Amino acid sequence: MLSADEAADLIEAIATRQDRAAFSRLFQHFAPRVKAFIMRSGADPEAAQEVAQEALIMVWRKAASFDRTKASASTWLYTIARNKRIDHLRRNNRPAIDTDDWLTVFAPEDEDADKSVLAGQTYTRLKELLGGLSADQMLVIEKAFFEDKTHTAIAEELKLPLGTVKSRIRLALARLREGLERDES
Amino acid sequence: MSRHPAPDELLLDYAAGALPDGPALAVALHVALDPGSQRTVDRLNAVGGALIDREPVPDFGGENDAAALERVLARLDDVPVEPHPRAADRRHSTFDWAPAPLVPHLRPGMDWRRVMGKFDEIRLDLPGDFHRVSLLRLEAGRGLPEHRHAGYEYTVVLQGGYTDETGNYGVGDFAVGTGDQRHEPIADPGEPCIALIVVENPIVLTGPWGRWLNPLVSRGWI
Repeated sequence: MLSADEAADLIEAIATRQDRAAFSRLFQHFAPRVKAFIMRSGADPEAAQEVAQEALIMVWRKAASFDRTKASASTWLYTIARNKRIDHLRRNNRPAIDTDDWLTVFAPEDEDADKSVLAGQTYTRLKELLGGLSADQMLVIEKAFFEDKTHTAIAEELKLPLGTVKSRIRLALARLREGLERDES
Repeated sequence: MSRHPAPDELLLDYAAGALPDGPALAVALHVALDPGSQRTVDRLNAVGGALIDREPVPDFGGENDAAALERVLARLDDVPVEPHPRAADRRHSTFDWAPAPLVPHLRPGMDWRRVMGKFDEIRLDLPGDFHRVSLLRLEAGRGLPEHRHAGYEYTVVLQGGYTDETGNYGVGDFAVGTGDQRHEPIADPGEPCIALIVVENPIVLTGPWGRWLNPLVSRGWI
């Protein structure tokens, strides 16, 4: 296992001294997890493995853009892997602008003042709050993240009115907001 | 924080990576301009991180795993660790109102084109996406022809503002139009209103000229 702090140390070691041993440890920890995550969307093991590898190579390239005071290493990896999944699964046969160039722009150093802090204890707290969501709310959230489905597609699949799915999402987000803001004040 | 943020469910679609490119670009621009929605997306991304942390995985260390790591390490020889970018690198030299996520989509030579003598347009080409994605520019006091939508329409204001039957929209504001609405946006006084508009299906004009113009719209000529 790798703690959030250890993972952040490893990414910084890549940024400051191109540390290959640090990269290997990150790879060993995250590549299988990202692969498992991507396979939940129905991707075959080879494709999922490739997305995981592309994501880890991106971690190497962009290590200097990681800011441990703003986001956890897992969150940062999630956004990179998500973009690689979009590039890989949707854009197999068409030339396009890399999703990384615009969907989650790696925040420039002088422009991230508005970024909220979701690292350290706040990240741990968010995980606890996630555990407190209702099964109905969690189902919708997991379908979105794992299966790459819009709320409209989720409503169709679950045969629920669109309004029901929207209100589950809004209630889930309200609970996260409430819990995190109570801690901040 | 803007007065018209994107709805939570659309921010979830965006953070989950489920939106087609056109709507994803609209949400990306809104998020770049709206700290409140940025915070929500940061939280949703952290949910994604938490879901990765929760993945039960088999131990790393088999022969295949070691070989995969070796292959990736060999590839790193050709991959430099890039320096941290600066905000100035993300600005467009001509279109200084463009938020960072729009810049890669503005190719050299793209420029405003006058449409129906009323407004200016730059059509963006997002390969493989069925949405019509355009930047529109309206001088103060000018309006778009009254129209309704056959599908969803997403609008993000990038400069100036406009007012229609549903309210007043300023920089960063996000509007979702649905098929049953008619509206007639008018640009607010001051600098021209510039907005990104993403339309699911071609717009249907409802004014007196609609009968003549709709065939041209549906062919993508205007």
